[in-house]
This record gives sequence, structure tokens and C-alpha cells, in this order.
Amino acid sequence: MLALLPRLRRFAIGLSGNPHDGDDLCQMTIERALSNRSRWEEGTRLDSWMYRIMRNIWIDEGRKTTRSMQTFVAEESGVRVGGDGAQEAAVELSNVDRAMQKLPGDQREAVLLVMVEGYAYKEAAEIVGCPVGTLNSRLVRGRDALMAMLGEAT
Amino acid sequence: MTITPEDIAAFADGELSDERDEEIAAAVAADPGLARQVNQHKALKAMLAEHYAPVLDQPVPDRLVAMLAKSQEPDVADFAAARERRETRRRLPHWGWIAGPALAASLALALFLPGTNDETEVYADTQLAAVLEHTLVASQLPAEETRVLLSFRTEEGQYCRAFSGSAGGGIACRDDEGWRLEVLGEGSEGATTDYRMAGAGDGEILALAQEMASGSALDAEGEKEARVRGWR
Repeated sequence: MLALLPRLRRFAIGLSGNPHDGDDLCQMTIERALSNRSRWEEGTRLDSWMYRIMRNIWIDEGRKTTRSMQTFVAEESGVRVGGDGAQEAAVELSNVDRAMQKLPGDQREAVLLVMVEGYAYKEAAEIVGCPVGTLNSRLVRGRDALMAMLGEAT
Repeated sequence: MTITPEDIAAFADGELSDERDEEIAAAVAADPGLARQVNQHKALKAMLAEHYAPVLDQPVPDRLVAMLAKSQEPDVADFAAARERRETRRRLPHWGWIAGPALAASLALALFLPGTNDETEVYADTQLAAVLEHTLVASQLPAEETRVLLSFRTEEGQYCRAFSGSAGGGIACRDDEGWRLEVLGEGSEGATTDYRMAGAGDGEILALAQEMASGSALDAEGEKEARVRGWR
């Protein structure tokens, strides 16, 4: 599990949009994984299993808090982050982060799982718990939105 | 041919079936507009991957590492063991198809633990031991007097083999001394019986083997490796 931490953090930061919330998400994920470890055997891969736990927590937490964050933090993060230190600000304020945070959650997780974490569609669909076709179309919508926001990124 | 945006994205990700992949590849090659879309998808993917890659190089916060360190040893052991069991199960045939019906049936057939009356019976005799030691399930002849049904490992890691023969079937596990008979089935107590229905009792023996086993039966490769190591 230790070896998976950097990847889990990457996914968490991608989902939540900043390192601080990402690490909180990681912490909750590890807690839940450890307390449910006996149930892992039934799963497929350890990494997929933990990603699934993470995205489920993220969804649950999102119902409580993320809605407001998505609306306001993206615009205000410049100010907020500025106080945290220049280095983090440079990372957090990138266009990619902003664009990602504007994606609906289902598209964001699809984009992250496939395009960043490198999962095959089928594996990503299993983590999310949706049919492959659904994942595929979320992915396409997410990509189109990103390309529109980021301009002709190419 | 209709080409959807999903096709183009899946093509860029290398996710299409071979046949569809060829079709789309041909269409993309013939249409600069499609080719540009494919390139955009690839560029976006590269950009996202690059954007998030630095996280992998950052030190993981101590509080996260500490959570694992606290439960490190059981954690690693549990997961390693679970992985081992799971991978074994995935690689090898499941028990279900062999022993499932027998499990459902009653275990009324006389199966007893040998050696309770007479210590000398605890281990397989020379002939049976030779069979257990050398026979591979995959390559044995059907007409063999004693046939090995399958091999498996116990929770303790001991190798055991279920066998069936005219002199009765059973399960024997390898230890320092030899093949210790753990279970003997019908026929074994009646070496003088006139007939023995082929396979009678095998189901029950297999059901017991399933209970004793951790994971699935060894496959042909697994058996070969185990034999090379002397089933230890």
C-alpha cells in the first residue's frame, strides 16, 4: 500500500483540485482501506480497490462540501493560495487545474483514471461502477470540455 | 461508416478492438480533420499526464506514511497473503466445478482419519508414496491403478494430494517423514472387496480436499514445480 501512496495522492489531488484537500482525501481513503482490509480479497487489484474507495469517499464528501468549493474556490484560490507559499500557488493556479475543477465530477474522474492514471476503459469503468460505454461518453465529454477551455492545447 | 467522437477518443487511447481499430485508422489516414482530432486527444493526454506527474515525485506527507507504518506489518502480511491467495485462485481452476456437486451431496460416505488405531498406517506405503511423489495429474494414464486426482496446498503451506485407486482413495500430505495419510475413503478398509465402482467416493474426497486447501488446486505447472521441490 505504501508503494501506491504517490499514485493515490495524484488521483486525490486531481479529484479534489488541490494538495491540501487531496491529502485529506488520501487520509480518509487509507483509514477506510485499513479498516476494511479483510474485504479486499474479493476485489480485483489493490490499486483499483483503493481508487474505488477513494472516489466513493470523494463522491460522499462532495455531496456535503464540494459544491460550494467548485463554485467559489476556483476564483478565490489565487488569494487563498498566495498565503500558503509561492511554490504551491504555482502548481495550484495552473490552467489545467482550473479547467479540471470546472468539469463535472463524473467527467473529471473518468479523465483522471484514463488519461492520468492510465487505466483501460474497462478497468476505469469498474472502479467507477458504470458500464464501459457510459465511461467512454463521459470521457469524451470531459475531453471536449477541457479542449474547449484550454484552447487548442496542441 | 459512422465515426463517433467516442471512436476517435478510443482510437487515440488504443482502446478499440482490432477490427474497429483498422477501420478507424483507415478513416483517420484519409481525413486530415480526423487526424487532427486524434492528435488533439493525444496532446491533451500528454498534457494532463505531465501536469500531474510531479505529484509522484513529491514526498508523501508524514501523516499518511505514519498511518501505514502503524499497521505496517500486519498490513503487508495480510495483503501479501491475500494477493497470493487471490492470484492463485485466478490462475488456477476453481474448485467449484470439481467438488461443488459433492459438497452439496452428503458426506455420509465413510471417511476416517487413519492412524487412530494403528500408528503404522499413518503414512502411505512405498508403492503409494512412489505414485504420490512422481505422478503428475496432467500426464498420468487413465488406466493407472492409483490415480492422483489433484494436488493442493493447505493453510500451513503443506502440499497434499488427493488420490483414488482400487485399494481406496484418500488424501495424503507431504511432511518430513513421507506422505502422511490424512483421509482415507471407501475401499481402503476393504482391500478384499470384490469390486469398487470407479470414482465412487472421489467426490467426497475432493470435497474434503477443498476444505483442507487454501486456494485452488495446483495446475500442471504448479505440480511440476512442486515435484521438483519434492513437494516441500
